[in-house]
Amino acid sequence: MSFFKNHTGYLKDYNLSFADKIYRFNYLYLFFICLVVGMGITILYSVAGGNFSPWAFKQTLRFFMSLGALFFISFINLRLLIKYAYWFYAFALILLVLVSAIGHIGMGAQRWLNLGFFVLQPSELMKIALILALARYFHGASLEEIRSIKYIIPPSLMMLIPVAFILDQPDLGTAMMLVFATGAIFYLAGVQLWKFGVLISAVLLSFPIIWSFLHAYQKRRVLTFLNPENDPTGAGYHITQSKITLGSGGLFGKGFLSGTQSRLNFIPENQTDFILTALCEEFGFAGALVLLILYTIIIVYGFVIAHRSKNYFGKILALGLTVNFSLYVFINMGMVMGLIPVVGVPLPLMSYGGTAMLTLFIGFGMIENVHINREMTIGRRGGADGE
Amino acid sequence: MMNWGHEKGQVLLHRMIGLGFFFFVLILILVGRLFYLQILQGEKYLLLAEKNRLSTRLTMPSRGYIYDRNGIILVENAKTFQAIFIREQADDYKKTLSNFLRLIPLDEDEVSRIETELKFKRAFIPVRLKDNLTPDEMITLQLNMPDLPGIQIEEGMIRLYPAGKGNTSVLGYVSLLTDKDVAGDKSNPLLDLPGYRIGRIGIEKSMEDTLKGTPGKRQSEVNAFGRTVRVLSETPAVAGQDLTLTIDSRLQNFATRLLGQYAASAIVINVNTGEILTFVSTPTYDNNLFTLPISHKNWNTLLNDPHRPLQNKALTGLYSPGSIFKLVVGLAGLESGVIQPNKKINCTGKTKLGNQLFHCWKHYGHGPLTFEEAIMHSCDVYFYEVAQKIKPEKIIETARKLGFGAPVGIGISGEQEGLLPTPEWKKAKHKEGWRMGDNLNLSIGQGYLMATPIQIATAVARIASGKNVHPTLFKDKAGKTPEPLPFHPAYLKLLRDGMYDVVNKQGGTAFTSRFNYNGNRMAGKTATTQVRRISLQEREKGVIAQEDLPEKYRDHAIFAAFTPTDKPRYAAVVFVEHGGGGSKTAAPLMRDLLQKVLELEEPKP
Repeated sequence: MSFFKNHTGYLKDYNLSFADKIYRFNYLYLFFICLVVGMGITILYSVAGGNFSPWAFKQTLRFFMSLGALFFISFINLRLLIKYAYWFYAFALILLVLVSAIGHIGMGAQRWLNLGFFVLQPSELMKIALILALARYFHGASLEEIRSIKYIIPPSLMMLIPVAFILDQPDLGTAMMLVFATGAIFYLAGVQLWKFGVLISAVLLSFPIIWSFLHAYQKRRVLTFLNPENDPTGAGYHITQSKITLGSGGLFGKGFLSGTQSRLNFIPENQTDFILTALCEEFGFAGALVLLILYTIIIVYGFVIAHRSKNYFGKILALGLTVNFSLYVFINMGMVMGLIPVVGVPLPLMSYGGTAMLTLFIGFGMIENVHINREMTIGRRGGADGE
Repeated sequence: MMNWGHEKGQVLLHRMIGLGFFFFVLILILVGRLFYLQILQGEKYLLLAEKNRLSTRLTMPSRGYIYDRNGIILVENAKTFQAIFIREQADDYKKTLSNFLRLIPLDEDEVSRIETELKFKRAFIPVRLKDNLTPDEMITLQLNMPDLPGIQIEEGMIRLYPAGKGNTSVLGYVSLLTDKDVAGDKSNPLLDLPGYRIGRIGIEKSMEDTLKGTPGKRQSEVNAFGRTVRVLSETPAVAGQDLTLTIDSRLQNFATRLLGQYAASAIVINVNTGEILTFVSTPTYDNNLFTLPISHKNWNTLLNDPHRPLQNKALTGLYSPGSIFKLVVGLAGLESGVIQPNKKINCTGKTKLGNQLFHCWKHYGHGPLTFEEAIMHSCDVYFYEVAQKIKPEKIIETARKLGFGAPVGIGISGEQEGLLPTPEWKKAKHKEGWRMGDNLNLSIGQGYLMATPIQIATAVARIASGKNVHPTLFKDKAGKTPEPLPFHPAYLKLLRDGMYDVVNKQGGTAFTSRFNYNGNRMAGKTATTQVRRISLQEREKGVIAQEDLPEKYRDHAIFAAFTPTDKPRYAAVVFVEHGGGGSKTAAPLMRDLLQKVLELEEPKP
């Protein structure tokens, strides 16, 4: 229990007892998160044809496991997060390199490490590690520094190195999320807008070069996205069927366990990335709206918690994690609704999958931690204010 | 130090508001998109989802059986197994097909047909790979099913004609669909069934609608892989109606053997009911060949045979009726008073019309003949004389009443209507007026006049019974008592007496073919029609014997008859293309045929 105890030398001015922390914990926030998980498990039950196996039961177990991680992270000292931010980032990067190396030795794309009891996806871990590292970095920077080009290079590299490895896996979805999350943090920290303008123009101009680096299946996905009717049985199948499934739900859906598209396998693997289609088919526009409202509440909470935090690290951390969560929502929903190309991004808290759930809960744990320690001030080097 | 934190915080707050607003817009976009897909387009997608889910498959109805007059099965369905292929159930249909072809090789035409169908038919429509699988092929396929995703073995029906080749001209055949059939009738869902066959000619074609039945429908819920999850509703197929024909399969086969390799036809009609007992056209062929897709070799053999086996000569053969038509002219003459039956006309062997000579078939003439004798000897000059006194319209009107000039309508489509030339017709067609020479040619059944064997048979049946008989192939249409013909019965009797003499009196043209079967005799009329003109020089030198001519120049041989002579029951026609002569070739065949008819006649109750 040493983590919860007072680390002398660090916490001179700010000291919360365990009871204080339990009192300050934001239960309503967690309640909304659990509500979404509950919806997810319900849909997983339905997608399996009204069965707890193979997904709903396992997902429930993972939920409880992740819940444990959330509480644990919530109650450790916020200063430890800032202290070990870079270390955590380094650890995630090593895992990523490891997976890449093993992937090259083995066959085809490899995104995960099998730890025996748990299949770990280092790219998922990296999402949190990067946000943590960036929060620490910008916490220590002055506004002048943030606005200088030189000072922007290290955090850019922090993002680009893992992105390179993740693109190599290849996992376009996760790489995109890292880029967008980093961009959002840069924006929040105060990087001038014209720099974004220059960067975006540069990317657009170099698009033909990027295009040549894309895998054939990625190119096909982009092309199919632009015109799914081109190939309705092949790559366009997913998008076409996804829209049919969504649309056929109508206002109130076909009812629980009555989704024909979902039940008859018209959406392959609809327990993972395309789980929204099952929700929309069985519960209709109303069900989807409830989900979107819950997501919005969770996002708003993240913003409010960030705003209330008295320390800059906490603000950036809460915001970065909330942005990360929002990106999941926007990218997944956008792709399922046929607004953007199909990239492998799960619907947060709904899709079946262990690592995503765990990392999301770790992230929520950190946001709770920021909330609990909202009164805490942290010095520029990570110590108490004025140190 | 304060500067480090405060200013950053201010910027962050502004940027937070900016980002929050941006997210808010994104959420609105998502809500809008959901609203568009689920509410605005919901109906459309619901329909598409239903289409995904529901699969309607037709089940093949059993085609009606066909029986002969004695209940012998002429056409039945045999159970077969066919390999079909549903493209959408295969990941890589080309691979499945090549696997299949390695196991069961097919000829090139079939492979290209299958490839075309797989490419152009909708993915869920089954395509026939092979019909009539042998037990060995079945086992091979069953063992290799894992390599053949999308391929199924289905029970099917195949048409079987078990009663012999003699029935082909009546029954016709069914065959698989061509692209033209499918294009012609897009609304018929049966055409999408693999192995569906339709009648091409004969009864199979004309009675298609009766025989084919109604397809069953099975609506089932299928999953994304096309596998049936459950059957929602099922309407069983309704079998087609059975048919009973008037033909006697034994006579059909007997007549077919009798005519042998001649390009010929034979028809036997019950003169009281119109039932057609025999209706054959030779040479015939095995219609079972067509049920499986007929091979190119077989098809070409049939197509290139100079005796034209594929033509139904009894129904579509257009010929000059020749001397048989003298019966018609005689009746017209009697009816109009031009002929006095007992007034003799002298035949000198030729009639002069202007500066044109019309010859009798007997070079030195028959001498003076009564009407009955003129029929008996088939004297041309007698009828030339009649022709000079009668209007062609009168002959044509009589011919029409006897059944010429219009399809008889026995129940098979494709019948020729023949040609009854009238002055108006000639004017319209040849821009020429009717000449007396035309009348003379008409009087001996030559010239423009054209008739089919079934028309000749109908005319003889009407003369024999004195009733307006309508020949038919259908048991349920026959048996109605026909009304009497609008001719004087005595004149009809005169014709019959003449025909009696032809066969049964010394000197009659068919005297050598007479018979007496339990007191039943035959009466008839011969005809020999030229297929080339005899030149004047040739006539002087003496006409070349038929045997010495190449087959295609030999005369057509026709014999029309009825039996018994006192109360006729059957009328018949034997028509032999290039047979040489009516009395020499056709009459003996008729004798054998009619004796067989009498022999097989049902015992009278």
